[in-house]
Amino acid sequence: MAIIDHDAALARAGANVTGRWSQAMFLARRYPLGAVGAFIVTVFVLTAVFADVIAPTDPTATNSKFSLAHPGGLFWLGADFMGRDMYSRVVHGARISLAVGAGAMGLGGVIGITVGLASGYLGGWFDLLLQRLLDIMQSLPLLVMAIVMAAALGPSLRNTIIAIAIPLVPTVARVVRSSTLSLREQPFVEAARAVGMGELRIAVRHVLPNTLAPLIVLATAQIGSAILVEASLSFLGLGIPEPHPSWGRMLSESAAEYVRTAPWLVIFPGVAISLTVFGTNLLGDALRDILDPRERT
Amino acid sequence: MRKRMAFVAASLVALGVAATPVFAQKAGGTLHISHRENPPSASIHEESTISVNQPFMAVFNNLVVFDPNEKKNSPDKIVPDLAESWSWDATNTKLTFKLRTDVKWHDGKPFTSKDVKCTFDAVSGIDEKLDIMRKSPRRIWYVNLKEVTTNGDSEVTFVLGRPQPSFLSILAAGYSPVYSCHVDGRVMRSKPIGTGPFKVAEFKRNEVIKLVKNPDYFKKGRPYLDVIDWKIVPNRSTRMLGFQTGQFDMTFDSDVSFPMLKDVMDQKKDAVCEARPTNVRSDILINRDAPPFDNPDVRRALVDTIDFRAFSQILSQGHHLEGAAMLPPPYGVWGMPKEMLATLPGHGTDIAKSRAEAQAIMKKLGYSADKPLKIKVATRNIAIYRDPAVILIDQLKQIYIEADLEPIDSSVWYNKIAKKDYQVGMNLTGGGVDDPDTFFYENFYSKSERNYTSYNNPEVDKLIDAQSAETDSEKRKKLVWEIEKKLAEDAARPVIGHNFDNTCWDPKMKGLKLQVNSIYNGWRFEDVWLDK
Amino acid sequence: MGAYLVRRLLLMALTLFGMSVLIFVMLRLVPGDIADILTNASGISDPKEKAKIAHDLGIDQPILVQYGKWIGGLARGDLGFAYVSEQPAIDEILPRIPISGKLAGMALFFAVLLGVPLGVISAVRQNTKLDYFLRVISLSGLSLPAFWLGLLVLMGSVHWFGTIPIYNSDPHGFWDDVAMLGLPAIVVGFRSSALIMRLTRSSMLEVLRQDYIRTARSKGASMFAVNFKHALRNALLPVVTVIGIEAAFLVGGLIVTETVFNIPGVARFLVEAILWRDYPIVQNLVMLIAFVVVTINFLVDMAYMALDPRIKYSD
Repeated sequence: MAIIDHDAALARAGANVTGRWSQAMFLARRYPLGAVGAFIVTVFVLTAVFADVIAPTDPTATNSKFSLAHPGGLFWLGADFMGRDMYSRVVHGARISLAVGAGAMGLGGVIGITVGLASGYLGGWFDLLLQRLLDIMQSLPLLVMAIVMAAALGPSLRNTIIAIAIPLVPTVARVVRSSTLSLREQPFVEAARAVGMGELRIAVRHVLPNTLAPLIVLATAQIGSAILVEASLSFLGLGIPEPHPSWGRMLSESAAEYVRTAPWLVIFPGVAISLTVFGTNLLGDALRDILDPRERT
Repeated sequence: MRKRMAFVAASLVALGVAATPVFAQKAGGTLHISHRENPPSASIHEESTISVNQPFMAVFNNLVVFDPNEKKNSPDKIVPDLAESWSWDATNTKLTFKLRTDVKWHDGKPFTSKDVKCTFDAVSGIDEKLDIMRKSPRRIWYVNLKEVTTNGDSEVTFVLGRPQPSFLSILAAGYSPVYSCHVDGRVMRSKPIGTGPFKVAEFKRNEVIKLVKNPDYFKKGRPYLDVIDWKIVPNRSTRMLGFQTGQFDMTFDSDVSFPMLKDVMDQKKDAVCEARPTNVRSDILINRDAPPFDNPDVRRALVDTIDFRAFSQILSQGHHLEGAAMLPPPYGVWGMPKEMLATLPGHGTDIAKSRAEAQAIMKKLGYSADKPLKIKVATRNIAIYRDPAVILIDQLKQIYIEADLEPIDSSVWYNKIAKKDYQVGMNLTGGGVDDPDTFFYENFYSKSERNYTSYNNPEVDKLIDAQSAETDSEKRKKLVWEIEKKLAEDAARPVIGHNFDNTCWDPKMKGLKLQVNSIYNGWRFEDVWLDK
Repeated sequence: MGAYLVRRLLLMALTLFGMSVLIFVMLRLVPGDIADILTNASGISDPKEKAKIAHDLGIDQPILVQYGKWIGGLARGDLGFAYVSEQPAIDEILPRIPISGKLAGMALFFAVLLGVPLGVISAVRQNTKLDYFLRVISLSGLSLPAFWLGLLVLMGSVHWFGTIPIYNSDPHGFWDDVAMLGLPAIVVGFRSSALIMRLTRSSMLEVLRQDYIRTARSKGASMFAVNFKHALRNALLPVVTVIGIEAAFLVGGLIVTETVFNIPGVARFLVEAILWRDYPIVQNLVMLIAFVVVTINFLVDMAYMALDPRIKYSD
C-alpha cells in the first residue's frame, strides 16, 4: 500500500528537517540524480512557458538569405534550409513537447483514474468487462496503438494528444484499480462508510488521494514516453504537422538530408528530446524511491 | 548559376554525341538505381506519377515516341516505335499507322493492331468493358478520339472528331504505352507484360523492382544492360548516402534538390549531375466559391503578395523558373515570352510595391496585424508539397493573413479539393507532355475529371478548343499565351514556379539522355550502358 | 494449475477476438479508403471508377459482412488479398516476418549481452562512481529516441566505414545478415539493454542483501563466484520479465529503425499499409503483433512459475 506520507518518508531516510527549502536540499543531497532530473525538468517547463521571451524570433519565419546558416552570429543554433531559426524552433519545440507530454498524460490520467476507480470500487461484472477491455488495449504496443489512432484522427496537435493519451489509459487504470482494491477494505474507509458518507464521495475524497503516490511515479515516467512517442509519430509524419516546431518533426526527412552540410539540424532537436526525457526519467526514478518504498533499491 | 552553365554545357555535349555515331558501347552489367517510394502499381496508364513511369517505361513501347536523342520534346521530333510510319488523311482527322510485324510480347505472343485498339479503346473509355485497366486518369486526352479501327494485323487508324495536331504528341508520351489485349489488368498492375527492351522479373512492394533484358527485343543489339535493379528507398537521405557510397549508379529522377547538390558532389567527386526543369509547377489552389476568397480583392491581394524569388531561393537556390501555366522558354516549347510574363499579376519585379498594394487592399477590408484574417492552407502531407506551403504561410503574414497548415493525407487530397472543402491549397501540377492540349484539357477544361478545382470559364474552354484545332503553330502559340494570361488574371492556380532539380549518376553509366521538358518521357533505357 | 492454464488460454482468445473487433472498427473510422487512395494516386476522383474499384475489392459491402469474411478466412488460414498489390496477403506478410524476426532476435541478444553484465557490475559496485555512471548510461538508453540514434549511427557509419548497410534481399549466410542488420539491431537493442540493466541491478541488490549470500561470503566463497553464481541465478527472474515487457516495446523500436535503415521488415510494412489503407494487411499484421505480445506475456508467466517455485497460480 502506498499511502502518501512525506514526513514518514523523510523520517525513514533519517532526516531531521524543518521548512520546505531544507527539505528540498536534503532530498537533493540524498538523491543527486533526482536533483539533476528535477533541474532539467524545471528548465524544460520554464523554457516552454517563457518560449516567447527566451526566443522572440518567430520559429516559423522563413528567410531565403539564411538557408542552412551555420550556428553562431545571428543564429545561435543555425538555421534550417528554409532559413528558420533553429534556436527559436528548439525553444518553441519545448512548448509542443510539454503540451503533448502533459496533455496526453492529463487526458489519459483522467480517463484512467475514472476507469480504475470505477473498476476497483464497483467491482463485479463491470470490473470484469473493463479489465478485458484494458487487456485488449494492452495487447498492442504503445507506438502501434498510437500510430493507428493518429492515422484515424489525422495530424494535428489535439489529435496527437488524443492518440497518445488513449494507449496510456490501461496502465493508469490498472495502478488506480489495484490501489483502490486494497484501500476499499481499509479501516478509514469503513469508518467513513459508518458515518454515512456516500460511496462516490468516499471514492473521491478518501480513496483517490491515497492512490496518488504510485500515480505520480507513473505519470512522471509516462510523460517521458509520451514525449518520445510524439517524436516518433511526428518523425513518421503522423504527428504534429509543419510548420509547428515539433522536435520529432524537425528530425524527419529534411533534417537528415542535410546531415553532413548542416549537422546542427539533426543534433539540437535530438539533444532536446533526449535531455528532456532523460530529465523526466531521472526525476521519476527519484520520486519512486521517495514515494514508493516498496520499490526502493 | 554555375550549375546552369554546366547544364548548358552538358546539353551541348549531349547534342554533339548524338550527331556522331556512338561506338564502343559495352553490353552487360546491372544498373542500380534508387527509387523514392513504393509505386502505386506498375500500370502506367492507370497512374500519374514519375514513380511509375521511370521504372516501367522500359517494359513497353509506344506507337511513336519523342526522339530519344533529342533533349527537347517537340511535335516535329517524333520518331517511330511500334509503328513503322504514319500518315494523316486530307481532313486531318484520320491518323493511320503501319505497324511492325516482327514484335512479340514478353510472353511470346505476337503484337498486332488489335492490341493497339484494345489499349486506346480502354484508355479513352470507348470500350468500358475491357479488363486491361480499371481506371484511366488521362481519359480527357482522348476526348476527341471517336474510334480506333484496324485493317489487318499491321494497320491501325485513329479517327478524330476534328483536326488535332497534338494527337501525335499524346501518343508519343511516356504515358501512352501500348498494352496487350490478352493480359488482365491485375497482371499489368503487378508484373506487366510489354514489348519493350526489359521484362519485369520481380516487383516486390517496398523493396525492389527488377527488370531483365528482353533477348527478343525487336531492335537488334538493344538493350545493352542485362539488369536494371531499382531499390525502393523511401528515405531521401538514405538514397543519397547510397548513391554517394556507390551502391547506386544513379539517383531517382530530379531527386537531388539544389540545397543538397553540394553535399552530393562533395562526397562523390566524379558524380555527373544534370539540372533540368521537371515540367512540374508549384501552384496555389484558391477556393473562389467560399469566403474569404470569393472576394476577388482578397484573391488579388494573395497573388500580389507572393514573392516568387523567395520561393525559388529557398527551394532551389534560385533555380526555379518563373513562368505562367506552360513551361517557359527556352526549355518549354509553348510558354509565353518573358516580356509578356512581366505584365501578368504576381509577376511584377517590384515585390515591395505590390505587397504594399496588397496590404492596402487588406486594410480596406478591415484586417490588420492585430486583427488578422485566419485561414487554413491545405496541402498534401508530402515534403515536396509541404515545403512551399510553409513558405506561403510565412509570406501571407505580410498581408495580415494568419494561416495554419492543414496537411491532408494523399488518400483524400483530391476528394477534399473536389468537394471545395478548403480555402487555399498548395499543389504541384505536372505535365506529362509539354503540350497545351494535354495540359489545358486536363487541368482547366470545365468537363475534365482532373480539373479538380472545377475551374469553369466558357471563354477559356472556347480558347482551349480553338488552339487545339489550330494547325499553324505560330498562331497556336498566340492562343496558348492568351489562355495563360486569362488563367493568371483569374488567379486560376497561380504558379509560384516551375521546379528545377538535379539528377545525378556515376560517370560509368553512359548513353542516358534526360529530356528537358518532361520528366515522364525518355526512360526506355535501351541505349544506356555501363562502362565497367 | 490445469484450470489456471485453461483460463489463461481462454482469456488470450478473448483478448485476440476483442482486438480483431477493435482494429476492424478503428480502421473503418480512418477517413478515406483504398478506392480513394488508388484513384487519388492517379490524380482523379471519378466516382464511377471509384465505385468499380470499391466493388472489386468488396469494400462496398456492409461492415459486418466484411468482418465475417475476414474472420472466417482467418479461421481457414486465408488472410485475404492485399488491396495494393492484389496478391494474397499471406504472400506479402510471410516473407517479411523473418526479416523483423532476425532483427528483433539480434537486438535482444545484444541487449542481454550488454544489459546483464553491466547490471551486475552496477549492483556490486552500488553507489560508487561506476554505478552512477552506468545508471546514467542506462537511463540515457531509455531517453534517446531510436530513430535519432539510428540517424547518428548511419552518419557514423558513413564517416568511419565510408558506406552504409543497405538491405539486400538475398543475404549469403549468417555474416551477411550480421553486416546488414548488426547496426540496426544495436539501435533497437540499446533501449532494451538499458531496461535489462536496470532490472538486473535492482534484483541483484535485493538478492545480495539476502542472508544466504552473506552466509556464502562468510564461508569464504570468492566474490566473483558469489556474485555470478548465486546472485545472478536468482536475478534471472526479473530479466525474463523485462524481455516479456520489451517484446512490446521492441515492435515500436523496429518500426522507426526499419524506417531509418530502410529494412523491408514487417514493422515498417505496417505503417505503410496504414497509410495506404490496405486493410487486409493492417488487420492481419495487427493481429499478428497482438498474438505475439499476448503469447509472450503468457510464456513469461509460465517461465515465472518454472523459475520461482514460490509463485503459485491457484485461482
